[in-house]
Amino acid sequence: MISLTSPVRTRAHDWPAGVKLAALCGATLALFFIDSLAAHLAILAGVLALYALPGRAFLRGGLAALRMLWPFVLVVALYHLIDGSAAEGAVIVLRLVSAVALANLVTMTTRLTDMIAVIHWLCTPLRALGVSTRPLEIAIALVIRLTPVLLVKGRELNDAWLARSPRRATWRIILPFTLLALDDADHISDALRARGGLVSTEEN
Amino acid sequence: MERNVVMIALFAALIAVLGLIPQITLGFGVPITAQTLGVMLAGTVLGARRGALSVLLFVLLVAIGLPLLSGGRGGLGVFASPTVGFLVGWPVAAFVTGWIVEHWRGAPLTLVAGLASVVGGIVVLYGFGVVGMSVMLDKTLLEATALVTAFIPGDALKAAIAGMLTAALAKARPASVLSRAA
Amino acid sequence: MTQSGQTAPAKARPASGLLLETARFAHGEKVVLADLTLDLAVTRLAVVGRNGSGKSTLARLLAGLVAPQQGQVRINGIDVARDRKAALCEVGILFQNPDHQIIFPTVLEELAFGLGQQGRSKRAAETEARAVLARFGKAHWQEAYVNTLSHGQKHLVCLMAITAMAPRLLILDEPFAGLDIPTRAQLTRYLSHYTGNLIHISHDPADLTGYDQALWLERGRIAALGESDQVIAEYVARMTELGEADDIADLAG
Repeated sequence: MISLTSPVRTRAHDWPAGVKLAALCGATLALFFIDSLAAHLAILAGVLALYALPGRAFLRGGLAALRMLWPFVLVVALYHLIDGSAAEGAVIVLRLVSAVALANLVTMTTRLTDMIAVIHWLCTPLRALGVSTRPLEIAIALVIRLTPVLLVKGRELNDAWLARSPRRATWRIILPFTLLALDDADHISDALRARGGLVSTEEN
Repeated sequence: MERNVVMIALFAALIAVLGLIPQITLGFGVPITAQTLGVMLAGTVLGARRGALSVLLFVLLVAIGLPLLSGGRGGLGVFASPTVGFLVGWPVAAFVTGWIVEHWRGAPLTLVAGLASVVGGIVVLYGFGVVGMSVMLDKTLLEATALVTAFIPGDALKAAIAGMLTAALAKARPASVLSRAA
Repeated sequence: MTQSGQTAPAKARPASGLLLETARFAHGEKVVLADLTLDLAVTRLAVVGRNGSGKSTLARLLAGLVAPQQGQVRINGIDVARDRKAALCEVGILFQNPDHQIIFPTVLEELAFGLGQQGRSKRAAETEARAVLARFGKAHWQEAYVNTLSHGQKHLVCLMAITAMAPRLLILDEPFAGLDIPTRAQLTRYLSHYTGNLIHISHDPADLTGYDQALWLERGRIAALGESDQVIAEYVARMTELGEADDIADLAG
């Protein structure tokens, strides 16, 4: 399954994921302590400049992710314009967009495998306590494997519905879909058990 | 043990797919995003612990950059957006929903699952969602609530559907309804 | 229909007019069907091709489940993708895997669904569904739960569900793949009860004896179209040739 990592290679792709995530946490926190409109304008401009650096394809991808904010931007803008506190409203909007933009920047410049490695690292204390993290790793792999498969089955069921109805499928289609998915669960449990199951043969 | 992990992963995948197929309607032509329905079902079918883990897994995968939210959204950006409260609240909602279905045995499953979905999927979830929105948009809780009330009727219908689906599933495949397995 | 003989009615079937004009279908970047143009009176058409040649996509296009990105697809003048209500009377489709087609838990509900979608009231749909079951000699199936049925029985439910809607043209998308010998024979016999026009899609020529015309689809384009025996013979010859080569080793791009 395709992740949201940008295919446009940047230098940031090679920076350690953990560092990027930590920096993101710090930056987002800082954003919430800054109240000056000028500062936020500068910050957002800086973030957008970072998006523009790797080129137009990257920028377009980034802006697409920001698009989902428009209803909130609209509501806040209207609220504060009516309320007479336009400057306050601007700060909220700018802070919001910057926060989402920064977070999305990390997502676009970090490979899925690197993210999974961070999760693995974060679980080290669990392993120190003797709790196995193998089920989690397998679960992640299973979801990534199963989602496209279920998607195909969902589409086939949807076709079967459309083949007999002039209207789109209703919620009733979810039942047979769930049954198909549950059948898969049985097969996969068997396959898993046939290859050693969840018992890890070596402790790291 | 394997079965648990597989069921948890399966429902996470189910929630993902329910967000990716856009063409479901309520029956009178009103299109719905079925993803919240998936979260409710994770609770009603898998029960509190497994349901919560399943939804948590889903949220984790969204965080690490998979476009599993309806509309193909995902990544860390959604956690910095005003809807972050809902994302954080989803596993809790599934837990509460599952807990109710596991413990309230007296009434018909359709009713139990439906009401459990209302309590978990609406009351608890919107609690988290409203708080998140209020913080991110710097508005009062009341103002944030006003913003989301429009979605409650739709979600109430989804809760009813979750009730019916759970009961139908219990009839078709009783062994798979883990919330009532004990 | 020449095999069974006893139940086949004597009246001639009006052919279904199939019209494709530069129909093009792409899945994202990949072009699955390229500029298909066809003007055919279909009575019994076999569609052959390798796996991945676009046969299933063609089936969905003809059934109106998807619209072509370019060009048009019409059956008896009806734009099957846009005019869904009329399309349901013109064309029906039976898919390969019954588990991916059955929507309702009981046989009666499954049969009544399509009938209701064609405009009948719930009661009328159920009455008609019972009549269909009786016609197939399966009146005792009406309360049956689908998940208790065998694979072959589920196939039959799907067949009944779609023929109940009496489409003038029935598309079969590899319906017999993976069936055991007795089930295949029995389903073929049930299929012979259907008096409308037929498009049977298969990669296996053994399923396609006794058809009037054949269309050979190769990588989204028409490789051959004509009299069934001849086209199928050409197809088999080519497939045998390919079997002696090793294109299974090639990775796509």
